[in-house]
Amino acid sequence: MTTTKRIATDVGGTFTDLVAIETGPEGMKITTAKSDTTPPNFETGVLNVMAKGGIDPKDVDFMVHGTTVVINALTERKGVTVGLITTEGFRDTIEIARGNRPDFFNLHYEKPEPFVPRYLRTEVPGRMTYLGTERIPLDLSGVSDIVTHFRAEGVQAVAISLLHSYANTAHEEAVLAEVQRLWPDVSIVASHQITREWREYERSNTAVLSAYVQPVAARYLGNLDDSLRAQGLPQSPYIMQSNCGVDSLAATSAVPITMVESGPASGFWGAAELGKLIDEPDILALDIGGTTAKCSLIEGGEVRIMTDYWIERSRKSAGYPIMVPVVDLVEIGNGGGSIAWVDDFDKLHVGPQSAGALPGPAAYGKGGTNATTTDANLWLGRINKDYFCGGAIDADMDSAGNALKAIGDKLGVSTDEAAQGIVRIANNNMVNALKLVSLNRGHDTRDFTLLAFGGGGAMHAVALGQELQVKKVVVPAAASVFSAWGMMMSDLRRDYFVTQLADLSEGSAMGIEGVFAKAEAEARATFKAEGVDPAKLTFLRYGKFRYQNQEHTTEVLLDGTVTDGALSKIADDFHGAYEREYTYRLDAPVEMVGIHLVARAEVGKLEMVPAPLGDADASVAVKGTRDVDYALEGKHSATIYDGEKLRAGMAFNGPAIIEDPGTTVVIHPNNTVSIDAYHNIHILLEGQS
Amino acid sequence: MADRFTLDVISQGLDAAAVEMFEVLRKTAMSPIIYEVLDVGTGVLDAHGQLVSSGAGIPSFIGVLDKSVQAIIAKMEDTIVDGDVFLTNDPNYGGVTHLNDVVVAQPVFSNGSCVAWVASIAHWGDIGGRTPGSMSTKTTEIVAEGLRLPMVRLFNAGVRNEAVVDIITKNSRLPDFVRGDLWAQVSAGRRAATTIVQLCDGFGADALQVAITTARKTGEQRAVAGLRALQSGHFSFVEEQDDGTLWKASITITDERMTIDLRDAPAEAAGPYNLSRDGAFVACQVFYKALVDNDRFANAGSFAPLEVLTTPGTLFHAGPTAAHAYYFETRMKLVDMLWHGLAEAMPDLLPAGHFASIFGTVIAGQHPDTGRRYAMVEPQMGGWGATSKRAGQNAMFSTNHGDTFNCPVEIAEARYGFDVLEKALFFGPRIKGELSGGAGVRISYSLRNSAVLSVGYSHANVPVWSVRNGSSGGRNCLRISRTDGTIDTYHFASDIALGQGDVVEIETAFGGSRQAP
Repeated sequence: MTTTKRIATDVGGTFTDLVAIETGPEGMKITTAKSDTTPPNFETGVLNVMAKGGIDPKDVDFMVHGTTVVINALTERKGVTVGLITTEGFRDTIEIARGNRPDFFNLHYEKPEPFVPRYLRTEVPGRMTYLGTERIPLDLSGVSDIVTHFRAEGVQAVAISLLHSYANTAHEEAVLAEVQRLWPDVSIVASHQITREWREYERSNTAVLSAYVQPVAARYLGNLDDSLRAQGLPQSPYIMQSNCGVDSLAATSAVPITMVESGPASGFWGAAELGKLIDEPDILALDIGGTTAKCSLIEGGEVRIMTDYWIERSRKSAGYPIMVPVVDLVEIGNGGGSIAWVDDFDKLHVGPQSAGALPGPAAYGKGGTNATTTDANLWLGRINKDYFCGGAIDADMDSAGNALKAIGDKLGVSTDEAAQGIVRIANNNMVNALKLVSLNRGHDTRDFTLLAFGGGGAMHAVALGQELQVKKVVVPAAASVFSAWGMMMSDLRRDYFVTQLADLSEGSAMGIEGVFAKAEAEARATFKAEGVDPAKLTFLRYGKFRYQNQEHTTEVLLDGTVTDGALSKIADDFHGAYEREYTYRLDAPVEMVGIHLVARAEVGKLEMVPAPLGDADASVAVKGTRDVDYALEGKHSATIYDGEKLRAGMAFNGPAIIEDPGTTVVIHPNNTVSIDAYHNIHILLEGQS
Repeated sequence: MADRFTLDVISQGLDAAAVEMFEVLRKTAMSPIIYEVLDVGTGVLDAHGQLVSSGAGIPSFIGVLDKSVQAIIAKMEDTIVDGDVFLTNDPNYGGVTHLNDVVVAQPVFSNGSCVAWVASIAHWGDIGGRTPGSMSTKTTEIVAEGLRLPMVRLFNAGVRNEAVVDIITKNSRLPDFVRGDLWAQVSAGRRAATTIVQLCDGFGADALQVAITTARKTGEQRAVAGLRALQSGHFSFVEEQDDGTLWKASITITDERMTIDLRDAPAEAAGPYNLSRDGAFVACQVFYKALVDNDRFANAGSFAPLEVLTTPGTLFHAGPTAAHAYYFETRMKLVDMLWHGLAEAMPDLLPAGHFASIFGTVIAGQHPDTGRRYAMVEPQMGGWGATSKRAGQNAMFSTNHGDTFNCPVEIAEARYGFDVLEKALFFGPRIKGELSGGAGVRISYSLRNSAVLSVGYSHANVPVWSVRNGSSGGRNCLRISRTDGTIDTYHFASDIALGQGDVVEIETAFGGSRQAP
């Protein structure tokens, strides 16, 4: 067995992280490193962190790279000037948007500004119908003037989005070719290259936002590749995507918008993969970081991928749609740094404002005066004040106490009660988020394992698991770098969504099969062009169904070739899935609205090797005891374990705390704990076995 | 006694229940007016029918369901048992609005006693009556407007009353749609009821009650804080309408109370333009809430300081036979009048007028490709007025709508089988020295086969109002360009025949301007 070195690098707003996993005859070795993010030359930070972690690019067999460059360019409005070409009569589509006012009592509501101003929105005559037939021929005679206008106005990227291009791409392709002929070096994208789904505002906005970040992302990825290859990296890094897969650097440079939500995706993919490894295919995954908590549901080892993704959307703003495959997740402003505050009417809230890295929680002693969830956890003894942030920071308990007391004073309760209240409110926010992805979709949480990761996941997991009565709680080994582990477990994956209306009735199977076959052929060709062995390629076919006349669809996994004989089973599966989520079924015709094809191939995926289960007693890992306030269950004397000394096969009971440099696991009274062959921590709740 | 944090947790659970209910309805409904226009409201109410929490798409459906449930409780009294589900759509029987809006309400029981109610209201595409879409401009009495459901049991102690389902489906031109929408509403109610029962199991019914009372107090405190921040006084005003009539009203604001006096209203209309007293109250709630506490948070306490005075037999307090189909345009004009009235007195607090119309547009016919019947029921977007700080917003739905989504052109063409020729911003003139009103919308539909059109909108003659000496905004308009070259303009009309090749052109008003500061 030779040694294989895989690395994952992740560029965040403040830090660039590295995780390296070396597998060989001696087992697995994990190295982590952290260094500053270096805008605008982000590749410098990546090289720095590799040097810091002692990684020579020449020795790297497989590299995955995750970056927030796309989402940052969007939210900080640091993209380029975009010109839009659309169908005659519809240049205002991206400004009219959907016309909605989510903050509906507010007479001063302001719509989000479109990313392309009106004078850069242009039109070409020509119409397709919803069936994909041509109603009015395309007229390209005005494109030359449009290009001249764009050049004169300093346009740096062009987006093309024509009506019904999801059904027939011919007009968009012709406009694309004409602009490229007239302006060969311009950065350009047509909507059908990103999505084949209907809804012109969403698709147009997606094309516009993709064009907006395209030059920025292409430059970033190009520089990264050049510097790594110059230092000897044998093959280009793969790039983490929002659909839980990785994609090639070249494909990502062409349509970078697919990276938009890649940050959380790797963690959720890690959860799915870990679930398969430990034989728990049904997972509620929870990722608690400094600012937010995110959760997603994994059923049968599969993540759920959707294209209904919006940025900057809230109860106060309509936001912007981006119609790309994104893991279905719920995110709330509740992390370790979330600030607790009391409103004008004496109600306690936690988040969504975060104290961030600076000043950070009051206990950082960097001038923060706001109480955060972390301060409450420290005050209650859940986090060790003498081992704060793995011993890297001296906890300023006076500051934490003052901040919590201020909250208590406003509410008329003691400092202890204020801290308990903060933990309870934060937990309740997270329970509600977890319910949104589970109970509210008809899933019984008792069938699911709660997998908690990120810096804060393990601190709250048991309390949440008890509230939701989950099957068990699992905290993965190296929970704080779990996302990076997920990146190394990812496949090369592409999700194809194609809108295609079809009745689910005798004779329609051939047409449906044809849509899948066409998408599969396209996927095969794309993968082949990238040198992927066709034998490694696997597909998952989902159909999007609804009762005739409905709008929203329910996705159903299909088994094999679609034949007329298989239609009744497909309909049954739809009725069943629908009833589980919505409590009823209808005796009404079922129609297909489109397909969702997953194409994936393994590329250098990490293989985990189990350690033998030992019979050593967990007492060797005991650091001592301390009083811990469990909020709802009161104060208990908890045994403190050193996470780094726990070995496969060890077992013990709560109340306990496991301390690791990256995270703290809070084990409640009556919990039982065991360490599995991969060093994951399994926690059974009261009465479970 | 539950501690304050437990009460917060329960309160959040009750809020979540109403929101979840809304999401279920949005995802399962058959009619675009429900899942896209979000002409829908959901609510959790206490055992007495007081509003606890709401998940709504539009502000004018926030304070509706309490009135429905209170009416059901008053009628049914102690015959109400676990597993009952009630239907009502008649403004004389707790229905508040018009017959298209069907309320589905069910009590929630825990340990044998009623602890709460859950209810939803949603616009059904067709509930019978003389016109496809059930909104005729020609009716003069409610019996001609469609099927009346005066608080009937859909479920009796958990047992479905098939007769009621049969009556409903046989009285609609779109039976599949109403069946789908009905079950969507029932399913939404079940979701919320489950959440509430879990809260009772976890914390006890007594704690639930305390949480409700505490949250109501907060609602009232928020409202009173808003009232105190407003300029007190008595404001009376007169608003000219498209038909030349003058509407009069006054608002009295004190630190504790807002009284909206609508007693001097015109007599009940012969046509379908009437508001029930509840309907007028809801209009006042929309404007009042925007003034005192414009957050989406709302419960019974939020509206406690509001008093509305009406006179029976008037447009705002119509009698038992009055027709209501186009009530929403009257309700819109009522909000517009209150807004204009106070904007004169508080021009920096309130924006200039907006296009102020629901502009309900119904096109019903047979799909040229599939042969299936369809009914497009859509409101229109228009321009909003300038504020003291900026120009008006372009193309948004009216104040009585909210998180309402327009129908994508690609979906409209597939679903209805007509061609959408244009959907563009429609700007007013830019005048130097003014903050201008936002653009309205120009949209045109070209028919591929025959259909029937119904429409109603305001500000057809009287332009949108401005403040601080700005120029007036635009007027709303609907025209039909016939294949023979004639052009017809309509204002309030139903059963207009459309032929193949006819083009329906809509232009909505741009908003009111103001002099730049």
